[in-house]
Amino acid sequence: MPHPALIVPIMEEKSLRILWDDDLLSEYSFTYLRGWCPCAVCQGHGGTRNFIPVANPQLESISAVGNYAISPRWADGHETGIYTFEYLRTLSEQYATLSQEQAKG
Amino acid sequence: MPSEQEVRTHLGKIAYPGSRHDIVSLGLIGEIGVQGSDVVVHFRPSSASDQVLQNLGGKISAALSALPGVGQVVVHDGRRRAGDAPQKAVAAQAKTPLPGVGKVIAVASGKGGVGKSTVSVNLALALKALGNRVGLLDADVYGPSVPLMMGSEATPRAGEDKKLYPVEKYGISLISMGFFLDDQSPVIWRGPIVMGIIRQFLRDVLWGELDYLVVDLPPGTGDAVLTLAQEIPLNGGVIVSTPQDVALLDVNRGIAMFKQVNVPIFGIVENMSYYLCPHCGEREEIFGHGGVKKTGLEVLGEIPIVEEIRTGGDEGKPIVLQSPDHAVSRVFHAIANRVMQASPKTLH
Repeated sequence: MPHPALIVPIMEEKSLRILWDDDLLSEYSFTYLRGWCPCAVCQGHGGTRNFIPVANPQLESISAVGNYAISPRWADGHETGIYTFEYLRTLSEQYATLSQEQAKG
Repeated sequence: MPSEQEVRTHLGKIAYPGSRHDIVSLGLIGEIGVQGSDVVVHFRPSSASDQVLQNLGGKISAALSALPGVGQVVVHDGRRRAGDAPQKAVAAQAKTPLPGVGKVIAVASGKGGVGKSTVSVNLALALKALGNRVGLLDADVYGPSVPLMMGSEATPRAGEDKKLYPVEKYGISLISMGFFLDDQSPVIWRGPIVMGIIRQFLRDVLWGELDYLVVDLPPGTGDAVLTLAQEIPLNGGVIVSTPQDVALLDVNRGIAMFKQVNVPIFGIVENMSYYLCPHCGEREEIFGHGGVKKTGLEVLGEIPIVEEIRTGGDEGKPIVLQSPDHAVSRVFHAIANRVMQASPKTLH
């Protein structure tokens, strides 16, 4: 499983860049990242993941979770999302498909 | 005098260490200020280490100084800008960094009663005998057995700021829920309390300088185990199991959990591997020998059922300490060696 080598939030562009140790560079807009928050508060326990839109999400900080995930803290206090590296890769690799789903709402 | 755009273009030629991507497209470069012939470059807050930023700072200064019309070049670390709104951390580091602690080794199994504490205690002592500074954290809050096995009834001393000093025994720094309970009181706690205790053991114990912290995990894949995996980056796991299928069933779940949280597994220890009859010397494989191979993990060692292991534990004098030349002690030394190879201690 690739690990992030560098994590840079770009506040003025409202996006997060992750450089992976296999040299893939991923970019996530805050809207995209927050909308796909995997936590049970956002997604419930139904087993399917949906895009939960949040207007203009502001990132506050990011902390590491053990060896396998990161957890963003948003300005509205939401901080229960644990984004595993695997999930972040999926969000990056399936950006096109997932963005379409997001547009459908 | 260079324009900001020119500066940016030149910085775009500097690659991030180990990558083909340059520091501008990675977003590492924030504000650029040009005043007269002086150039000020600000890094954005990121997870990059101080070392990497320092190295890049040098490259930036060199690259820009070579441009015509550039005087002084100043590179600011994005995390420490005076007068800025406080920049919250972008951590690639753990939630709970353990200052001074080198490698954290978890001893785990999916099942109870397979000898995790026995292995933890003897592994810690074997690592110590090999010249390491070692700590032992008993994370089994419901059934702490490390105090008994290490023969220690001391109470941890309180330090400043509600911090605790670990108990020292046989040259090992120990912390265990057992130090805070009398032998009779049951531990009846729900998950959040257990998680709180584990966090306290990590954050509020003054471990000092250690090469290895061995963590004796409770059985299963519950709150304590998950909290540990989330709070600190575990360097590796040693799995303990007895050879029979019913134990391996649970152990496989434990192995799967380690994979999920990205913790490398050094290998598996087969405990209660066989029994050598002290009277006739016949070898009896009570639980079926070699079963742990079915997990596909590297077998770190086979520990037979031997009375000295049991008495060593019950009397608080673990076998590695009591009889260092015993065949079983040699197995523990081999396991310790393997752990050291897989995770060489960091230099402080």
